[in-house]
Amino acid sequence: MKELVINNLHVSVEGKEILKGVDLTIHEGETHALMGPNGNGKSTLLAAIMGHPRYTVTDGTITLDGQNVLEMSVDERSRAGIFLGMQYPQEISGVTNSDFLRAAMNARRESPVSLFTFIKEMEKTIQALQMKEDLAHRFLNEGFSGGEKKRNEIVQMMMLKPSISMLDEIDSGLDVDAIKIVADAINTLQKETNMALMIVSHYERFLELIGPEYTHVLVNGKIVLDGDASLANKIDTEGYDWIYRDYNITPASVEPKKRPTVSLGTCAVSQQMRKGEKK
Amino acid sequence: MISLTNNTEITLTDGYSEYEIDTSQEEMNLSFIANGKAEVFIKIKNGNKIVLHTTANEDAEVTYLLWDECKTKISFEENHSVKRNAIVNIAYGEINQNEMDRNLRINLEEENAKASLSSATLTSVKKHYDINVTSKASHTFGEMKNFSVVLDGGDYYMNAVGAIEHGAIGSESHQTSRALCFDPEMNAKIIPVLLIDENDVKASHATSVGRVDEDQLYYLQSRGLTPKQCTALISTGYLLPVTEVIHDEELKNVLKKELEEKINKLCSM
Repeated sequence: MKELVINNLHVSVEGKEILKGVDLTIHEGETHALMGPNGNGKSTLLAAIMGHPRYTVTDGTITLDGQNVLEMSVDERSRAGIFLGMQYPQEISGVTNSDFLRAAMNARRESPVSLFTFIKEMEKTIQALQMKEDLAHRFLNEGFSGGEKKRNEIVQMMMLKPSISMLDEIDSGLDVDAIKIVADAINTLQKETNMALMIVSHYERFLELIGPEYTHVLVNGKIVLDGDASLANKIDTEGYDWIYRDYNITPASVEPKKRPTVSLGTCAVSQQMRKGEKK
Repeated sequence: MISLTNNTEITLTDGYSEYEIDTSQEEMNLSFIANGKAEVFIKIKNGNKIVLHTTANEDAEVTYLLWDECKTKISFEENHSVKRNAIVNIAYGEINQNEMDRNLRINLEEENAKASLSSATLTSVKKHYDINVTSKASHTFGEMKNFSVVLDGGDYYMNAVGAIEHGAIGSESHQTSRALCFDPEMNAKIIPVLLIDENDVKASHATSVGRVDEDQLYYLQSRGLTPKQCTALISTGYLLPVTEVIHDEELKNVLKKELEEKINKLCSM
């Protein structure tokens, strides 16, 4: 991929507008941090790029090297090189990690990957992420701890080698050591493949390890501020209040973050829905 | 593979054997008498009504795999008697597209008799099961595991009865039945029944009928799998537990391979 271009993107969920005109361009090899208070649309942006069926794009465009992403199905987007490391990965009983990963790898290849190559690659990746050896034979995310699920997302990313990876709070649920392991794996892959990265994270430590060149602040469905790595640092020490003040904006109301009951729902969405219920 | 004919009586001793049913007769009667540790693979290619009787004698252990490959409507009438310390394991593969009616009764007749049955069904037509496992003596054990994937146009009916009669102390009766649906145009019904007439027993049942979770599909798709590949992968994972009843590795692999091939074929249609 050369570039992913998002232009004037408006996204609604069940009639509620979450994104209100987002513009963003990401080039090959670049690392972008997407910041902003909870419930202001970060996860929605990533889910809309991936094509989650519950998210409706009402206006704007997304193109990948000129190709219209919005016309593609979710699986086509994945095969085109887009990857989303999810905040709440699904558990799928009966389907082993290895069967799933082999199928996913074969889906993007002309001829199927040989069993030997696959096993070698899988072993290498499991080792890099320091996961238990039996990972390949366990059912997909079933009974995994929060941290294991997140690491398994990175295992998948390493095996599928996307050209753009979007990681949605991939560091939450990871302890200090695991954050380092995951960040190392991401950096290694980026060096190897020159993939683009879009990171949503609340942890300065993780962002420090990944080292984003660009920072974007998403407030109330719009990117209100773009900057370099120093912007992420400033937000880490000073929070968002100065942005609201200096740019005269009001964030979407922030409620305590809860794990949504709809497993892939996001904060902005669940907030909008809760608001809707109250009315 | 030995072709079976009407009114055959077969005595099973230790070892693995394969049979085939390919008949146009109105009714075919078969009986098996198990004395040793036997694994039996029966492939049904053609038939109208199959009547199957088993007597598992003291200390015998018989494991069946009944694999339905018929193209036309078929019915089964089965009766399995399990004697002292004997075990009967039965696995059904109903991954074909013919109408099927199964009436099954397993009687745990003497102390320590055990029976495990499992069925794997993937269907877009009618598949009806009436099954009953009854404990008639003390310390017997019965379990049923039914897994089904019901596709567009499918009609799945599972009436599963686990019974423990008065006096069958220390017996257990367990059942799990699950139906997974991909399309709205289908019919799946599971009726779990426990009939317990004794106090000192263990019994359980678990049932679910549901559609594939939209978020699960999205998750798999987001890794590049087409909706059809997702269906096949989820179905395979769902139906594969049927092989757990089989202990023989060879037979287990036959079933797994056939299951995967059939599912992939059906799901790519």
